[in-house]
Amino acid sequence: MADFKSEYAVEMRKISKVYPNGVAANQDVDFCVRRGEIHALMGENGAGKSTLMKMLFGMEQPTSGEIIINGEKVNLSSPTVAISKGIGMVHQHFMLVPSLTVAENMVLGMAPKKNGLFVDYDEAVEITKEYSEKFNLKVDPNAMVMDIPVGMKQKVEILKALVRGAKILILDEPTAVLTTQETVELFKELVSLKEQGYTIIFISHKLNEIMQITDRLSILRGGKFMGVRETKDVTPQEISRLMVGRDVVLKVEKDQAKPTETVLKVRNLEYVNEYGKTMVDKLSFDVRRGEILGIAGVEGNGQKELVDMLFNLAPVGAGTIEINGESIVGLPQAKIREKGVSLIPEDRMLYGIAADASIEENVISDRSHKKELNKGLLFNMKKIHELSDQLIKDYLILCKSGEQKVGMLSGGNIQKVVVAREFSSNPQLIIADQPTRGIDVGATEFIRKKLVELSRSGIAVLLISADLNEVMELSDSLMVMHGGKIAGYFEDASVLNDELMGEYMLGLKHQSEEEIRRVCHE
Amino acid sequence: MNKKAQLRFSILRGCLAILISLLIATLLIFISAKGNNVGEKLGSTMDALTNLIIRPIISGRGAFATKSFTDILAGMIPTIFTGLATCVMFSANQFNLGAEGGIMLGAFVSSLVAIYVPMGAGIHMIIAILASAVTVGAMMLIPGVLKAKLGVSEMVCSLMLNYVIMYMVKFLMNTKFADKSKGQVQSLPFLASAKVPELISNGSKLTWGFIVALLFVVVTALFMYRTRWGYAIRMIGINQDFAKYSGMKVAAIIVAAQVIGGILTGLGGGIEMLGRETTFNWTALPGYGWTGITIACISGNNPILVPFAAFFMSYLDKGCSLMSTYCGVPAQLIDIIQGVIFVFFAAEQFLSGYRQKLVVRSAQQELKEKEAKEGKKDE
Repeated sequence: MADFKSEYAVEMRKISKVYPNGVAANQDVDFCVRRGEIHALMGENGAGKSTLMKMLFGMEQPTSGEIIINGEKVNLSSPTVAISKGIGMVHQHFMLVPSLTVAENMVLGMAPKKNGLFVDYDEAVEITKEYSEKFNLKVDPNAMVMDIPVGMKQKVEILKALVRGAKILILDEPTAVLTTQETVELFKELVSLKEQGYTIIFISHKLNEIMQITDRLSILRGGKFMGVRETKDVTPQEISRLMVGRDVVLKVEKDQAKPTETVLKVRNLEYVNEYGKTMVDKLSFDVRRGEILGIAGVEGNGQKELVDMLFNLAPVGAGTIEINGESIVGLPQAKIREKGVSLIPEDRMLYGIAADASIEENVISDRSHKKELNKGLLFNMKKIHELSDQLIKDYLILCKSGEQKVGMLSGGNIQKVVVAREFSSNPQLIIADQPTRGIDVGATEFIRKKLVELSRSGIAVLLISADLNEVMELSDSLMVMHGGKIAGYFEDASVLNDELMGEYMLGLKHQSEEEIRRVCHE
Repeated sequence: MNKKAQLRFSILRGCLAILISLLIATLLIFISAKGNNVGEKLGSTMDALTNLIIRPIISGRGAFATKSFTDILAGMIPTIFTGLATCVMFSANQFNLGAEGGIMLGAFVSSLVAIYVPMGAGIHMIIAILASAVTVGAMMLIPGVLKAKLGVSEMVCSLMLNYVIMYMVKFLMNTKFADKSKGQVQSLPFLASAKVPELISNGSKLTWGFIVALLFVVVTALFMYRTRWGYAIRMIGINQDFAKYSGMKVAAIIVAAQVIGGILTGLGGGIEMLGRETTFNWTALPGYGWTGITIACISGNNPILVPFAAFFMSYLDKGCSLMSTYCGVPAQLIDIIQGVIFVFFAAEQFLSGYRQKLVVRSAQQELKEKEAKEGKKDE
């Protein structure tokens, strides 16, 4: 390797990033990576890892601070510039053209030419083979990308970066989509790359992986830099303490829960995703009337799949789901709703609302067919206006009128529209999936209070949240999900502290079968 | 941006679109105009423009051109129906282009009933038109069900279906139903009992169908904005995932929207055929379906605006045909001018979508900034 002015391949100094919408994703972050090491960047969702890496790859520009690559101060105005500086990124969602072959993807945008006009496909295959052998990353150059397994797609992505001359590789949660065997293989390849002098930045929140292959690790929390450690010197407990923690706590007043009969009963629920990975693994739990059962966990541990199955937005792999003793597996959403299930979806813009329709049209979406809103063939517009005006008033939705388009409202008010509809449908079970994500403090407090109020009135509430504050403050009892399973169940959520939670969330601790089985109240 | 400003903005945009297309039309007319020098050419261009813009409603003597005006109204009858049909289908985000074939099929079926199934006056006409509506409704099941069950693109399917229907009708006409005593391909004459009565008998063919068409504008608007089914169609068009999550029967409604489009198209086909013609003599697709798509685009899928858009298109049609009759502007130019106007109207729609997003973004940003500021104050 050539002489460099600095021992560091990457130095990001005092980096701050404020998005135009006012979100401060990074604040004064110092992130330095030595040449030839595997360096982990850790943090919970929303900690600012992706933003930091996007800036390093030129996809975003820092608001302030400087980036130094190999001792040279650079202005990474676009990915093209970053690539020319020897930086390559493997995104979590692969950036490949499915209908082209591996070789074609490899040379995309820099294709070798024949007669100055046509793509020299044979040459592309040659290049692919050459790199594939050199780095011992086995791919089939002539296979179509859509036909190859995920593990190979990832290799293509890595090779793509290497072909473009990358010396510094950023891997964004590379193992999230891989099976265990594929992960093992990837790690071998990464170590081999490191031995050849490549620098690797590895984004992950899976502790065991990080302990296994990284040299050093940096931790972000809430957009701030929490420190850098030598992997061999650090304990998982310390990482967990740095990663998981609460800054401000919004207190919500609530009295002791008095849970009665079971409303939602889930037994041995399973979900295997399209890549053959088991996302939900024999999950069993109960939610009772009058209690809030929280599900905590780092995102991607099966929470999304669980919620999708509960509302039949994804097919149940195996197991049973019952509401008041009746199975709801495979029922259309209208029927599930009729049984008294309400859902605040994680992605409000995708499922929660029709942005181009009015508030009024959005609050009646689950009951437009009901008798009370219709007069013969036609809508009873008077009733609909009354309903929407009442909900706007009750749920403090800030708007000009019910005729206003929902898409024009702020995030918090959009969420209040969703909540107003879901809470006012006489539910027996409310599934609240990340109910306050990305919304303002006022709306957050309002929604949390409402949830507590409803649970105390005898409704069963299942709260899924990646926000520790939220699950710990609101839940009466709480379970932690890790790797599609329940890692721990706590009958009384108030005895928990951040540290203990962190250890369960990151899979450092596991309760015994017997302890976990307590969540089934039989 | 408040409602008034928004309305002002869109009217301005619309006028600008028409103005620009007229300017381009003028240029094209000028190029093809007769005359030996620029002056003469300018003169005949002015002449042509007068025919295009003014003559459809004001005659050469400066009086109101009643006959021409009723021609325009009569021309609106089929396109109001295809326009409404397209509005309903597009509202569900189903880009079904089958109104063209549908109107031909409808016209053909109603003709057969009108010729071969004798019935009492009045009832005969109604049965013939209903037969047409039912047939075209059933025809739209093809793209509808294929989309809902197999995910086949309704656009490609319905587009191709148009040609299947055209050739099928032509084949049946040539082999089975042609009146062999005539020199051209046409059917036997309709029975008198199946004729749609005229509203004004001045040769314009302005029939009661016009009133029915306006009635269906109201019915369709009510259906779309005041019933649970129309509501479901619109919500599916805006956000299908939301509709599913809310508990709507998405697949069934996607099919239903297209069947309803087919029924409306069929009504238009029957009414037009039994009102305007005395025998079935179409040998190619009539173009009403395409115009219906233009109308749906111009009216932004709002049924209430359909008659206005249909009037505009029919007016243009009349103006163009006058221009070609009296000023020797080649007939093909008509299509070019219509095309140009359509492009600008469609562009106006695209721009308004973009503008909408801008507005949303700016409003959200404003709010977020405000909230961020308030948040800071609290700290």
